[in-house]
Amino acid sequence: MVEYLQAPEQDVVISSRVRLSRNYDDLPFSPKLTREYAEEVVARTSDAVFRGSGGQSFSLLRIGELEQDARSRLVEHHLISYDLLKYADRSAAMVSADGTATVMLNEEDHVRFQGLLPGLQLERAAELALGLDESVGEKVPFAFDSQLGFLTACPANTGTGMRCSVVLHLPALSGGGQMGAVMQAVAKLGLTIRGLYGEGTTARGHLYQISNQATLGRSEEDVVRSLTAATQQIVGHERAMREAAEKRDMMQLQDALMRSWGELMYARLMSTKEFMRRYSDIRYAASMGYLHAPLPALDVLMMDVQPGSLGVKAGKLISDREAEILRAKILREELTRLVSK
Amino acid sequence: MMCEECGIRPAKFHLMTITNDVRTERNLCPVCMAKYQKQLPGIDFSNLAGILNSILEGGRERAEADDTPGELQCEQCGMTYAEFQKCGMLGCANCYKTFRQPLDALLQRIHGNTQHAGRIPGGVRSGVSIRMNIDRLKQRLKRAIEMEEYEQAAKLRDAIRALNAQLAEQEKPSDIKVEPPRRIVSEDGKGGEVDG
Repeated sequence: MVEYLQAPEQDVVISSRVRLSRNYDDLPFSPKLTREYAEEVVARTSDAVFRGSGGQSFSLLRIGELEQDARSRLVEHHLISYDLLKYADRSAAMVSADGTATVMLNEEDHVRFQGLLPGLQLERAAELALGLDESVGEKVPFAFDSQLGFLTACPANTGTGMRCSVVLHLPALSGGGQMGAVMQAVAKLGLTIRGLYGEGTTARGHLYQISNQATLGRSEEDVVRSLTAATQQIVGHERAMREAAEKRDMMQLQDALMRSWGELMYARLMSTKEFMRRYSDIRYAASMGYLHAPLPALDVLMMDVQPGSLGVKAGKLISDREAEILRAKILREELTRLVSK
Repeated sequence: MMCEECGIRPAKFHLMTITNDVRTERNLCPVCMAKYQKQLPGIDFSNLAGILNSILEGGRERAEADDTPGELQCEQCGMTYAEFQKCGMLGCANCYKTFRQPLDALLQRIHGNTQHAGRIPGGVRSGVSIRMNIDRLKQRLKRAIEMEEYEQAAKLRDAIRALNAQLAEQEKPSDIKVEPPRRIVSEDGKGGEVDG
């Protein structure tokens, strides 16, 4: 049975991700990349990763060879970017056995290394990505300029080529109408915040992603530190709002949140939209101790019942209605199993 | 070239439409292009980077109207600056050299900076990850001391010392600053060869 370990700040922070963009000096970039050169990128990088991945075992997936649902599943589990699918005729992904390290090939840049971990662990995620970068970069040199740093297809990523992001669950701030203030504060720090699903101030499941904007002029360490510090502050505010809500009327808070548990345990049809609302409620309840379900398991379950992942589970193309039935069934079974442990 | 729609702003887009086998081509500015995109369903909106670049460029349009870098072309991959402005992506590493001047201005606007301050490649493990490790161990050391786990604290202290030594060792050769290569040119400008 899978052991679910609680990661740092996991009551609020779902995951931390670091992506590094790199390009080979001697090959044309994305707009001029022919099939032949794209193949060279795959051959070169996969060879270097397989040889020097420090004990991690990777599998190489050609996006064009995957079924639609399998592609969506990779996006839903944040293993690859949605943009990688746009280049399906030439793109590939290397995914480590535990899913914490990924290498995307022939997206907007030749190579994008990714480190992905649960909770607030940006430093470790950065180490994962930088470790891959080092082991590949020492075999084949990446395009680099002493003034501009690592050269990327889009100048918006030039420099460190590093994008750090965290996914936050902010039901109390969001439900309390505080997101406008949070967004303003975050923008002042040179960071961007957006809803993970949906847009604006009403993000689905109260899930938000914060990431750094600039990549030139600041060190990797500096960016990791400032995003970590900003996240810790938001975590503090979210916790304060949760505690205040409990203090105000605990019975009402419990009632509102636990009703969603009831719906999930007995519903026979569950749409993605409704599920995200219920998931947010039970995650909030679990973080307050009203419900004894491990948060990491809830987050994995959330990804597992997204449309593409459901399709993969079903093993065939399913209609929306079939998906709603299957989602409701999986949720009943899995949630029962989680609380009975 | 001015926008064929409004005649006020410089043209940044080349729009080609085919209706009933009749081809029309127009040169448009970002504002008028945006209007056209709204009118025409089925136009690809994925090229946001290109549009963004053009809009960012907007502030300087007038000053640059007579001195457009659009004609610049990369020898290596053949990309022109105008092409880059359309698609938002460069064609190869050499493009950064070819388009250096206009790019510097663009980078300054995007990042507020044009000097890299991060790690450098070269097979040597950069100090970044070592420093990160040290920071993390220091935090664990603090916690261990708070919890009065002295045996664990001693182990952590040794590990931090070892990493610090590694870092010091590594930073020795980095006295060599990374600077752009300079061309050696003799006073008469004919080249840097020394008479034998």
